[in-house]
Amino acid sequence: MIGFKDVTRIYDNMTALRKVNFGIGKGEFVYITGPSGAGKSTLLKLIYLAEKPDEGTISIAGWETDTLRESAIPYLRRNIGVVFQDFKLLVNRTVYDNIALALRIRGFGETEIKGRVQDALKLVGLRHKNDNFPAALSGGEQQRITIARAIVGEPTVLLADEPTGNLDVDNAAGIMKIFKEINAKGTTILIATHNRELFRNTGLRVLWFDNGNLVADKEG
Amino acid sequence: MIYSIKLALKSLWFEKWIHMLTVVTIGVGLFVLGLIFFSLYNIEGITNRLPERFSVTVFLSAGTGNREINQLRVRLREDPIVKRIKYISKEAALVELRTSLKDAAYILEGLDENPLLPSIEIRLKENGFDKKKVEGLINKLKSLRDVDDVVYGENLLGTIYTIRNAVKTISAGVILLFSMAIIFVCYSTVKILFYRRKEEIEIFKLLGATKGFIRLPFLIEGGTLGFLGGLLGGAGTYVLYRFINGTVISDFPILGVMHMPLGLVAALPAGGAILGIIGSTIALGRLKF
Repeated sequence: MIGFKDVTRIYDNMTALRKVNFGIGKGEFVYITGPSGAGKSTLLKLIYLAEKPDEGTISIAGWETDTLRESAIPYLRRNIGVVFQDFKLLVNRTVYDNIALALRIRGFGETEIKGRVQDALKLVGLRHKNDNFPAALSGGEQQRITIARAIVGEPTVLLADEPTGNLDVDNAAGIMKIFKEINAKGTTILIATHNRELFRNTGLRVLWFDNGNLVADKEG
Repeated sequence: MIYSIKLALKSLWFEKWIHMLTVVTIGVGLFVLGLIFFSLYNIEGITNRLPERFSVTVFLSAGTGNREINQLRVRLREDPIVKRIKYISKEAALVELRTSLKDAAYILEGLDENPLLPSIEIRLKENGFDKKKVEGLINKLKSLRDVDDVVYGENLLGTIYTIRNAVKTISAGVILLFSMAIIFVCYSTVKILFYRRKEEIEIFKLLGATKGFIRLPFLIEGGTLGFLGGLLGGAGTYVLYRFINGTVISDFPILGVMHMPLGLVAALPAGGAILGIIGSTIALGRLKF
């Protein structure tokens, strides 16, 4: 599903990722961890093509980034749902419109959009917040809306960057439960986090990064 | 498409002050363009009527037979720039001369024979009133064996030609200038709107929006701004025309011949929309996203 081959990413003489190699299969649930500056967010950005590698190749759902044309990037992104650390919600749109946007971009009709948005909101437990604006929601609720927007298009891969970073323990547990439900439906999930409690004793795969290097690939 | 229209309309409402300023600026520009077209239309009308006062007289050689005269008449009638012809025999010419001389007609009394030549008077078509075509016809006539001389209003022809060309050239220049100004206004507005929505556009991109999806609302917005500016300009032009017709005309009777083609009022919003879309397209083409 996802493959990194000798991937290097450099920012102004600072190497964020160095010769990284790994592969993730369809339906896997993988954590990416390491201290701040280890390269976790860079790795996710490379997957959803917000950035390009300086060296090496990345393959995602059958697409090879080094041969991918600029015009094909939007279509690749439609296979990837992203839960951003800073949510990236549109503050002047309602919860419904924020989630529906992902489907409007894909060209869905309004009737189908309505059904899918309701389903996504049900999954994250926020059906009653349809007409609210993001500013009226708590951090945990905004995070759930971001998850709903990421999954509404039924992507094959779901990426989450520090999804519980700003949440209390109960909210964090709720969010992780949602991710497990999504994964159970066959979606490949990658979660970047520095919180080791999230994956301790889960038996799930963890990629450990330090200073841009992949230092370990083992069970949590 | 429907969602793009919704986005454009939402933006028109949220950024109403910028849009209002743009619409007024475009409206003023299109009002000036409307005035130019209005003036051009009327000047064209006036110059088109001038050929009615312009005639070419072909004097035939003495002794030209009826057969040759008829042949020439047929040939002239077939000419594409000739509207109508009138044959004046030497006898008719003498009667006409005698009438025009009035009390001085006695000077013709000593004549034993009629010294005047038969002639053909030619009136030209309005759309055939082209200096080169007219001169071509005259040169052709002069070369004929049975033609003694050709007389025509050389100065009038030159004047009409010069006025028409000058008006067209100046108008084309001003139209081009104002069209470019309107395109620039739309270009700048779309650029400002784009930067104001940059964060939103980033999110659109991350969710998988194509460039076409991102561009379409801006194109609709640019077209709408141009259209609204055109409505304003068209209304201004029409109000001015009504004012001229109602108030100014009594002081300046010459303006009484002026007309306002209604198509012009309708064309301004359409023209505005096209210029708006062009401005937006250029702006979006130059923006990196």
